Amino acid sequence: MAFYSILRSIRPDFSRVCLSKHVQSVHMSCPHFAIEKALLLKLRKTTGYTFINCKKALEKFDNDINQAENWLHEQAQKDGWSKATRLEGRRAKEGLIGQLVGDRAAVMVEVNCETDFVARNERFQELVRDVVFSVMAHHLRKTEGQSRYMKSLLSVEDLTAMSVSEGGTLADLLALTIGHLGENITLKRAAMLGVPTDWRIGSYVHGPLAGVKGPAMGRYGALVVFKGGQGEAAALGRKLGQHVVGEAPVSLGNADDLPCGDSETRLLPQSFLLDPSQTVAQYLAKEGAHVLDFIRFQCGEGA
Amino acid sequence: MAALTGLRACLPSMLQLSTSGLLHCSYKVCSVPLSRRGFATEAKKVYTRDKPHVNIGTIGHVDHGKTTLTAAITKVLAEAGGARYKKYEDIDNAPEEKARGITINASHVEYATANRHYGHIDCPGHADYVKNMITGTAQLDGCILVVAATDGQMPQTREHLLLAQQIGVEHVVVFINKADAVDDPEMLDLVELEMREVLTEFGYDGENTPIITGSALCALENKKPELGVNAVLKLLEVVDSYVPLPKRELDKPFLLPIEGVYSIPGRGTVVTGTLERGIIKKGDECEFVGHNRSFKSVVTGVEMFHQSLERAEAGDNLGALVRGLKRDEVRRGMVMSKPGSIQPHQKVQAQVYILSKEEGGRHKPFVTNFMPVMFSLTWDMACRVVLPLDKEMVMPGEDTSLTLNLRQPMVLEKGQRFTLRDGNKTIGTGLVTDILTTTADDNVNWG
Repeated sequence: MAFYSILRSIRPDFSRVCLSKHVQSVHMSCPHFAIEKALLLKLRKTTGYTFINCKKALEKFDNDINQAENWLHEQAQKDGWSKATRLEGRRAKEGLIGQLVGDRAAVMVEVNCETDFVARNERFQELVRDVVFSVMAHHLRKTEGQSRYMKSLLSVEDLTAMSVSEGGTLADLLALTIGHLGENITLKRAAMLGVPTDWRIGSYVHGPLAGVKGPAMGRYGALVVFKGGQGEAAALGRKLGQHVVGEAPVSLGNADDLPCGDSETRLLPQSFLLDPSQTVAQYLAKEGAHVLDFIRFQCGEGA
Repeated sequence: MAALTGLRACLPSMLQLSTSGLLHCSYKVCSVPLSRRGFATEAKKVYTRDKPHVNIGTIGHVDHGKTTLTAAITKVLAEAGGARYKKYEDIDNAPEEKARGITINASHVEYATANRHYGHIDCPGHADYVKNMITGTAQLDGCILVVAATDGQMPQTREHLLLAQQIGVEHVVVFINKADAVDDPEMLDLVELEMREVLTEFGYDGENTPIITGSALCALENKKPELGVNAVLKLLEVVDSYVPLPKRELDKPFLLPIEGVYSIPGRGTVVTGTLERGIIKKGDECEFVGHNRSFKSVVTGVEMFHQSLERAEAGDNLGALVRGLKRDEVRRGMVMSKPGSIQPHQKVQAQVYILSKEEGGRHKPFVTNFMPVMFSLTWDMACRVVLPLDKEMVMPGEDTSLTLNLRQPMVLEKGQRFTLRDGNKTIGTGLVTDILTTTADDNVNWG
């Protein structure tokens, strides 16, 4: 159906193309101007680069679509960099939190952009996915063979210098995406967690995008490190993650701390989100679990 | 043809002149004692309601010139007397606006063409447009999709069109901006072709959607009139004709949410309230609906300020005398409506915005089975919230779709707005998007 409508929309222009080409060949008969419109459309559709660049590419390689495409990809990196420097400093406080949880390791990153329209776009989500995978790879390399608890936060410099699996650095990838989406995009922060064998990592991302595969993405994310627990650890971890996202605790606190109402910012004395009749500490005692640490990211906070 | 449009443009402005003259006169009369009292003497401009009002918005990529276009429109219309010229710097601020206690980032500009008065709104993000729709601050009747000829459609153009669809904009006009930066007219054709394609893909009438090519910058700088001023004028002409006028509240079947019931000795029972929409006349048939009751009667008299009235219009605060009505048959929260125009419902789908802590809402999220009280028209009723399948909780400051089960059926219809409260806090505001049928398991566990 979609194909049919495309055909239908092209048809009236087809005659125009033929006509104009005819006229052009009469007037100047210059091979440079004889760009096949159909090729141009195809190139634009497959690559997504602007019509102007596609046309330049086709002119340069005399309608050879493969060479043109390669040239466009090379050019895109350059264009991306120039665009990135031009847009640098524009306020970016929308975006996504990306999270990937492995067996004994977890990473969480925040990537920002200017509008939530872009945050909803597939292309931006691909970038977040690549960042998450790179950070995870970096983390696994660093912690190979170690089994103690470690938690580290990456600076923006470390993040941008990180290499991606396809070659190049995250900064290159970032520039490429900026070139495509035309908005300032920044890597804001990343956290990495590694735990010993008997510890668990619970995770929750709020506002996951429907139908997105791979790493979870949303506007809020939480990682909770805990020990013990009956039943399924993943379900317990998810509930704890939900609580951390919802109640935004700042510190862990002690199990025997007295709760101080709605403004409580210590995790353990807070009343449990999914059952407000008990505190988190009481809930954990019942489940036979201990929370050791947690990280919470909220998109755009502190920006 | 040109002469005709010129004439059309002239007529209302002549009318406007005469009415503003009149208003000015009457102002002078009362301004004498005012100035004597030492008040500011500068007269505030009076809004004259001589043209139908339409709300339009601009959507598009951040760098494609939405604000420049808005500035260009005001500049071009200012020359024709239909606007005050707003410079780019004056517009591009998206101030925080508070509507129903909800903060929306939106810049708002007004202007008038020969036929219509426009409210032009531009929001920086998806979330702001959705809040705008839910609160009904400025329901968009149409929208201008701005796309730069240099870039063509961007990946996020799809998100822009999805938004337009989500907030119920049925009429989209495309403005291809920055045409002055493209030398090859064929490029412009291609951009247009591609826009038609993507519009069709999102369910709009891509083939017949008006697409105007021009340059807002040229219009601002008075260069290349065929791309500048003329293109902007053409855009406005197209918006005038392509975006239909919203249906006026007066033309809809009448609806009076009942605020009070009084029995007047010797005359009968009177119901009072503010007429939500439509027109009520003496002798109209009416129906009372709500609180599990429904019956018909006839309006035998309409009064406002203790004076009897031939007809009452939407917005009037009135009392209606109803034939054969007993005082205990009706109560606040029911509605008096044109028979058959509205029904009570118990289960609805709604788009809701949950207030953030800063806006005075809850600071905690809520989960399924949360029970707030729903307020709409003059009624309030406990309801139970069911979250959509892909959602486990709702955070303050976010918008979401919800299913609401009311404890008892109440008058509800598609497009009706409501507020959710919990204890003494307003926690959210919403818009009914769909009426659902109640199933057996909806009525369990009311406690």
